[in-house]
Amino acid sequence: MRRDALSRTGALIRHNVMLMLREPGPLASRMILPLVFLLLLHPLYEQAQGQRNGITQAVVATIVTFSMLAMSIAGSSILTERIWHTWERLRASAAHPAELLVGKATPVLAALVLQQGAVLAFAAAVLGLRVAEVPLLLLVMLAWAVTLTGMGAALGLLVSSLSSLAACYDIGGMLLSSLGGALVPLAAMPIWVRHVAPVSPGYWAVSALEAALRGDTSRALIASAVLLAFGACACLIAGLRAARSWGRTSGL
Amino acid sequence: MLVASGLIKRYGDRRALDGFDLTVSAGEITGLVGHNGAGKTTFVEIVTGLVRPDSGRVTVGGVDALGDSRQARRLIGVAPQEQALYVTATVHDNLRLFAALAGLRGSRLRQAIERVAEDLRLSDVLGQRAGLLSGGQRRRTQAAAALIGEPRLLLLDEPTAGADPETRQALLAAVRARAAAGVAVVYTTHYLPELADLGATLAVARAGRVIARGSQQNLMHGLPGELRLRLDGAAIGRAATAAANTLMARRCPLPPELAGRARAVDGELRISSADPPADLAAVLAAGCTPVSVDVRKPDLDDLYRSLAAEVAHAA
Repeated sequence: MRRDALSRTGALIRHNVMLMLREPGPLASRMILPLVFLLLLHPLYEQAQGQRNGITQAVVATIVTFSMLAMSIAGSSILTERIWHTWERLRASAAHPAELLVGKATPVLAALVLQQGAVLAFAAAVLGLRVAEVPLLLLVMLAWAVTLTGMGAALGLLVSSLSSLAACYDIGGMLLSSLGGALVPLAAMPIWVRHVAPVSPGYWAVSALEAALRGDTSRALIASAVLLAFGACACLIAGLRAARSWGRTSGL
Repeated sequence: MLVASGLIKRYGDRRALDGFDLTVSAGEITGLVGHNGAGKTTFVEIVTGLVRPDSGRVTVGGVDALGDSRQARRLIGVAPQEQALYVTATVHDNLRLFAALAGLRGSRLRQAIERVAEDLRLSDVLGQRAGLLSGGQRRRTQAAAALIGEPRLLLLDEPTAGADPETRQALLAAVRARAAAGVAVVYTTHYLPELADLGATLAVARAGRVIARGSQQNLMHGLPGELRLRLDGAAIGRAATAAANTLMARRCPLPPELAGRARAVDGELRISSADPPADLAAVLAAGCTPVSVDVRKPDLDDLYRSLAAEVAHAA
């Protein structure tokens, strides 16, 4: 029984990876654009904040902003299943809902972690970024990827078209990452922004990544825990929406 | 293999199912027919666990499909009404996924894909993306995904809607072969000739319940068809209904027992008839000489009308 479950989950993961690679455009742009952005803008951050802090800020800004935009990978992977009616078809198969979720989420998580890893590796190799605690940083990257996957899944279940989804992650992603102090440090923002910043997951992602890069374990763990709480809320919303949307009542 | 009893499903004030009962044995093909909104698709969704009924029972192969839906789904192959394919994936990729979800692996999986592709004439398009297939090929791929897991119960929800003759022929042959191997089949459709080809028994759904169940021969027996007489004279075709009836009556005086069943439609005299040869003889004996005669056999609409009248009469 357990072997069957593993086999089905493996088949779902392989299938979802294949779907992602069959239409590689969105994935490639989410991987390449952050590197271009970082390469072009890091001198600006270095000039404003000094070399070391400037590079850290540039890396964090790039990761948070572009990973927010990369929520589209999770959202569109769910929404296209709804549009193609394959979501219901999978639900009518012998697979357990948990197998379906793991099969769907694993490639998305991997893509989001890979995106962050690519930026960090590029910054370390080309810009001389120094990472104090690599395992801590990996933990933070995973927590942030889980949060983004949950938020992307919720969006994918709430919206009813690809254009609505694009609008949500373009506007929402930029808004939440700016509000969280990713692009411009909060210290340079108006006071009211500093007060509302903690409602944005972007704020906690910036905190967690900065802390992990500096080696501040406790701050990184606290911020990661808050991120996971955001992720859990998003997953709950996604779960409730999914439970209501099986069958012909999916709203598409 | 499939026993459903007393299924009730409400959506707000509307009852999609209202005491739906259906039993299908192993090796039996049941044509589930009825107008749109009769409850056919809701029934399929309940059996596959997509929708939970408000009350009632469903067992599949002895497994309680409402209590242990996943165990029951292992026995089921389903082709939903709406196309449900990964359009950016190839036909092979689609089939491989559904075969793997049904528990097939390795050489069994490969053989199952080859076999079902051959049965449904998809071998030449296995490497093509599903989104690039013709409508008929997509229908066949959808059916292949239902058949591939070697299910013991097949639920095919209007599998040939809009399909070309090749698709229909391939699909019917595949369904017949599965039934001959002991698979129970529920086949929803609006095409009676398909069910005749399949040798299916009929279950007629109306307003969320099965109102008639039996062989086609039994259910259709005694239903009136139609005797259609085209008379000479263009004026009849152009005249309004009442005037056309008057002109027809003048041109073709019918005995009273036939006149009560006759009406003028599009320049034809149409007589509801359970015994067309006898009625035609009566028409000719009355001195009416049509330029052409056509006999329409009773169809599903006649069956629905007849059953609806029976239900209304009983109420």
